[in-house]
Amino acid sequence: MKRNVKFMLLGICSAVICLMACRKNVLVEGTSKVVNMTQYLQNHPDEFSELSKVLERSETASFLNAYGSYTFFAPTNTAIKAYLTEKGKTTIDDISAGDWKNFVRFHLLEDSIPTSKFDDGKLYELTMYGQYLTTASENIAGVTKIRINRQANVINANISVGNGLIHSVDHVLTPASLSVAQTIEANPEYSIFTQALKASGLYASLNILPADNPDVERKWLTVIPETDAVFKSVGINNYNDLKAKYSNTGNPQLDTDSLHLFLDYHILSNAKYLADIITATAHNTLAPLEVLTAKLAGETVLINDDTFNGVHEQGFSLIRDKSDVTATNGVVHQPSAHFSIKIRAPFRVDWDAAAFPEIMKNTEYYKKNSYEFKPEETAALSEIKFSGPESGFIYRQGSAGTSKTSLNGDILVVPLATGGASNRAEWVEFRSPLLIKGKYKVWIGYYTQVQSNGTTEVTASIGADGTTDRVPLSNARTLSFSVKRPGINKTVNGVTVIDAEAEEAIGFKTYMANTSGSQVAKMLGIADLSKTGRYWLRLKAINGSQTTNNIDVIQFIPINDDQQYWKYNPDGSKILRP
Amino acid sequence: MKQKLKYSIILLTIFVSVFGTSCKKWLDLQPQDGLIRQEYWQTKEQLDAAVMGCYASLLGGGSIPLSKYLFIWGELRGDMVVPGLEISSDDDEAKLSGLLKDEFDIMRTQIASTNTLVNWEAVYKTINYCNTVIKFGPEVVNNDKTLSAAGLNAYLAEAKALRGLMYFYLLRSFGEVPLKLEPTYNDSQIGPIKKSTQQEVYAQIISDLTYAAENGSVTFGNMAEDRGRMTKFTAYTALADAYLWMEEYQKCIDACNKVIESGKYQLLPAGTPQSNFYTNVYLNGNSVESIFEFQFDNQKLNPFAPMFGLTGREFRAADWIAEGNLFGTDPLNSSNVDIRGNGTSMLESNASISKYTNQRTSTTSYAHWFVYRFADVLLMKAEALTWLTPGNAANGTAAIELVNKVRVGRNALSYVADKTIENPDPANTENVSLYVFDERAREFAFEGKRWYDILRFAKRNNYANEKILLNIVSASAQPNKQQTVINKYKDHRSHYFPVYSYELQTNKALVQNPFYQ
Repeated sequence: MKRNVKFMLLGICSAVICLMACRKNVLVEGTSKVVNMTQYLQNHPDEFSELSKVLERSETASFLNAYGSYTFFAPTNTAIKAYLTEKGKTTIDDISAGDWKNFVRFHLLEDSIPTSKFDDGKLYELTMYGQYLTTASENIAGVTKIRINRQANVINANISVGNGLIHSVDHVLTPASLSVAQTIEANPEYSIFTQALKASGLYASLNILPADNPDVERKWLTVIPETDAVFKSVGINNYNDLKAKYSNTGNPQLDTDSLHLFLDYHILSNAKYLADIITATAHNTLAPLEVLTAKLAGETVLINDDTFNGVHEQGFSLIRDKSDVTATNGVVHQPSAHFSIKIRAPFRVDWDAAAFPEIMKNTEYYKKNSYEFKPEETAALSEIKFSGPESGFIYRQGSAGTSKTSLNGDILVVPLATGGASNRAEWVEFRSPLLIKGKYKVWIGYYTQVQSNGTTEVTASIGADGTTDRVPLSNARTLSFSVKRPGINKTVNGVTVIDAEAEEAIGFKTYMANTSGSQVAKMLGIADLSKTGRYWLRLKAINGSQTTNNIDVIQFIPINDDQQYWKYNPDGSKILRP
Repeated sequence: MKQKLKYSIILLTIFVSVFGTSCKKWLDLQPQDGLIRQEYWQTKEQLDAAVMGCYASLLGGGSIPLSKYLFIWGELRGDMVVPGLEISSDDDEAKLSGLLKDEFDIMRTQIASTNTLVNWEAVYKTINYCNTVIKFGPEVVNNDKTLSAAGLNAYLAEAKALRGLMYFYLLRSFGEVPLKLEPTYNDSQIGPIKKSTQQEVYAQIISDLTYAAENGSVTFGNMAEDRGRMTKFTAYTALADAYLWMEEYQKCIDACNKVIESGKYQLLPAGTPQSNFYTNVYLNGNSVESIFEFQFDNQKLNPFAPMFGLTGREFRAADWIAEGNLFGTDPLNSSNVDIRGNGTSMLESNASISKYTNQRTSTTSYAHWFVYRFADVLLMKAEALTWLTPGNAANGTAAIELVNKVRVGRNALSYVADKTIENPDPANTENVSLYVFDERAREFAFEGKRWYDILRFAKRNNYANEKILLNIVSASAQPNKQQTVINKYKDHRSHYFPVYSYELQTNKALVQNPFYQ
């Protein structure tokens, strides 16, 4: 008996030892327990079991379980079931694997885009299918939801998984099937425009899928077709009226025919949704060097609403609910009114350098007192930029020596240093008002002031707004802020007067009522502007580094116009040629 | 047997020598260098110190000071404050530091629950101090016979008034918040706690403030304490504000009248030079106009210098204000100015917000934070009169008179932003209401009230005036997100902040505001 007990004890002991020995240590072999997309969907079958099946059938499951950075708009089970019903199918297997592959591609982007990056237009990346998706938000019965492609609402946003972000959506997304040409044709409102597109041969070029289009500039297009109603409001009742009004050669197939150009003017390169249109001031059209200008007024997108030469020209709007229509190769918007290319001759543009927004809204100083900008304030100016930190930048008003006789009694003191210094910039640039394409002589009106035998000499270059390229002016001259007008005189009928022609020939003129040698304008060269728009005029120091560079006014005068008149009185009124 | 006895004797000896001798406190360990709760709450001086601690907590805060939270919550979603740095592209945005990014997101309506500025920690910290006084303060009466019942109630009134005010900030900013009315003094107090409804929070605010209004002190004997502590009339002011928020107009008027009739506050007389006005009311603080201020001084500086100073400033006045479209300018006579405008609220020259700084640097910046000023009571009463019985011309006239009292005192200009400002038709409630609204913008510029004003005007009568809010937010939205922003604000749940993500992790009973889920 006792022996038995011993054996039993021994048995129990060995059993315990065995049990302990059999317990395996669990080693964590991965670096992260975060699942990837496929696994996430499998882990949530009540929402995504159907989508998991789709991934299996389209053979994308393994690819979405690998690492990467994606955004996936994941339709829920209800969404996929509704899609099947709509297609008249009962199960996922009834649709071919290839179709499902395209389906997945259209819901997938190769970048992780959180909802905070969504705006009122398209997502900045293409889907893997090759079309853009749009985002918007919509308020229904007091609840705001994010809407994708005008087709589905986001249910759960920004689900973070190992290889990107998932946004679950309550409806499947379907790609556009029509090109921009077909989209316009399919809408009976655009019948005249469609006919014109076909007659001009543009229809075919608007009907190419981006992947098949060899012309990079025209892969993606934005078309603003006019409706028949808009045409009728200006007396164009059919295509023949349109042709009669615009076609100068009678053959709209020609690129140079003015009806062809009229149509080109309605087409922008790149897919630009309204949100993209309002973020830039000018957009290139297919018509060479012609742009459409854009701005946002309240909630309205206004096109070509500009002030030319002091005259406001009423523009037209893009109708929000009829615009942003996605096509396979672009987007279609609807304008509120008829528009066409306007032939504009270049006209003279003068602007007071000392009238920029930051000083003008400063009612305590503007036209009242001088104000020295602190370097931080100078750096934040919107219409004047410097190469680096700039101190001693002064709005000088009413000072007898320099500004009292200048335009509006004010000048800008712009210290510049050759090569740049720690607190003095190498160059300054001014943003121009709207300039019509053409050739201009560029004049700077300034008040000469020498700072203890110092000087600053500058040269000018110019570049379009929104670019960083600056090209030197042609026939360029330098301007020295310490050099007065040479004072060439002639005698007319026994009276000594300024020989304006002789001075102009060497690039000097008077520009104010004050004809003292210090109040002078210097021509910096000729600007050949290929496009209508706003430009930056840059003055770069090439010699000297004085502070007293007193810039008053900048003039762009078409080369064939009178370069002398008008001149100004200090109060801003014009002195016309006697 | 003998053996056993021996053992017993030895055991007994040890027992007696250990436990029966002088080592009385053997099992009663207390900190050598501090005071525990049971030993505090003995004298009225200790009670007084505890109440002062509540006020001191207003000057501090959590990860950022409370007054900075209040500025951010009250101004950033309005239309008067913009980022101090020019931010024009995504690249600029990506360069922002954490705090600036969070501020920028609020201004641009991209608020997420991870935004550190929707953290309510600083407010609950003060609430906890108040709760401690309210729970343990009454024990002092038993220990200190020199403390009268009325004296105790006066102290409790201060704590309750402060607690009510703090919950009122939470109600307006978050809508629904957890009501914590017991101090966190031991482990049993730490646990998940649910959000209460807006009505429950409101009821608590009213109950706290009413108690404070009934039991509070009329005065503490000097200007500084009357402006830095919660008097009876401070409580009435906060009460009026709360009633107005919940559209109980008659009660609001009654509360305002208590403050007005007290005779303790007045506006500086019409004709006061701007420099006097600025120095008295803002730079030095605790003026006759003031009702309640956070008492920063040169030992406890405010956080405003780096917020509004020029170098790396976080905030500046919006362009429309810097351009003179809020206070107006007189083109003919440049010395005819609204004394609240250029030079007081902000500087037109660089759009900086100068109300709190005026040349003071980060080492000398101690302007107060202004919670309530007398003008607020007048304008609250005017607003309540306007809406008491809409269409009533007599009430309308009384409201206009109150507004004009402020306008005359401040030399408000009658021509602002290309429009002439004149008395509205007293029977036209909408217009009178706007007249009050516009004047509030001028009077309380940058005092952390703008967003609450906008929201209160918009949500009145079941969001009858939603348009006012949508116009304001669409004008300041990024152009390419404008439609998204408008649609976000059409969802009324977005008008309140999300619960901060850390709170959600630590307090499992909290439910996120569904707009942010």
